Amino acid sequence: MNGIHDMGGMHGLGPIEREENEPVFHHAWERRAFALNMAAGFLGEWNIDMSRYAREQMPAAEYLATSYYEHWLWSLERLLVDKGLLTQAEIDARLAELRKRAVK
Amino acid sequence: MRRALRAADVGTVLLKGGPARLPDDVPPRFKPGDLVVARNINPTGHTRLPRYARGRRGVVDRDHGVFVFADASAMGRGKKPQHLYSVRFGARELWGPQAAARDVVYIDLWDDHLDPG
Repeated sequence: MNGIHDMGGMHGLGPIEREENEPVFHHAWERRAFALNMAAGFLGEWNIDMSRYAREQMPAAEYLATSYYEHWLWSLERLLVDKGLLTQAEIDARLAELRKRAVK
Repeated sequence: MRRALRAADVGTVLLKGGPARLPDDVPPRFKPGDLVVARNINPTGHTRLPRYARGRRGVVDRDHGVFVFADASAMGRGKKPQHLYSVRFGARELWGPQAAARDVVYIDLWDDHLDPG
């Protein structure tokens, strides 16, 4: 698909940041997002190419404004809903609950 | 019943990975040194052929063997086993005179991405 993910050869994206001793994950939530993807992938409901394609479905403006593991999380939610393992309502309800807990 | 990944098995499973290599019983359409042209395709589904290489001429650098064809597998159309090659494209072929004369790009492409060049 001719999506925003296919950005090879594009200008204007700025220099590549090089970090000394770059950590595998920059935030604890990224580690969890990655692990969730691995664990859910093992259910056998989709393959690695389907999960790449799911990431390509992200709306272009959102894709550019979010980080690598946000793409992973977005595509995982989409696959879980598409395959009937979760509903969007369940995800939204859990998010609302976590937000309430964070405010306290 | 759905498979489940148990915590105790995570290390073993991740080290094993999920290889996409398949038995080498499909004949290759190309061999190293062959001139090829990447197809001009614009599918709404998944493709591993980058836009900038479509319609461009390259040279088969090496044959990796037979692999799952990601374009088919991503769309639930099975493995469609075929040869995967490393194809070399000159930067000037891809981006014209502004590119450096000696730069090249190697792209892993499958039989279904290529025609004789």
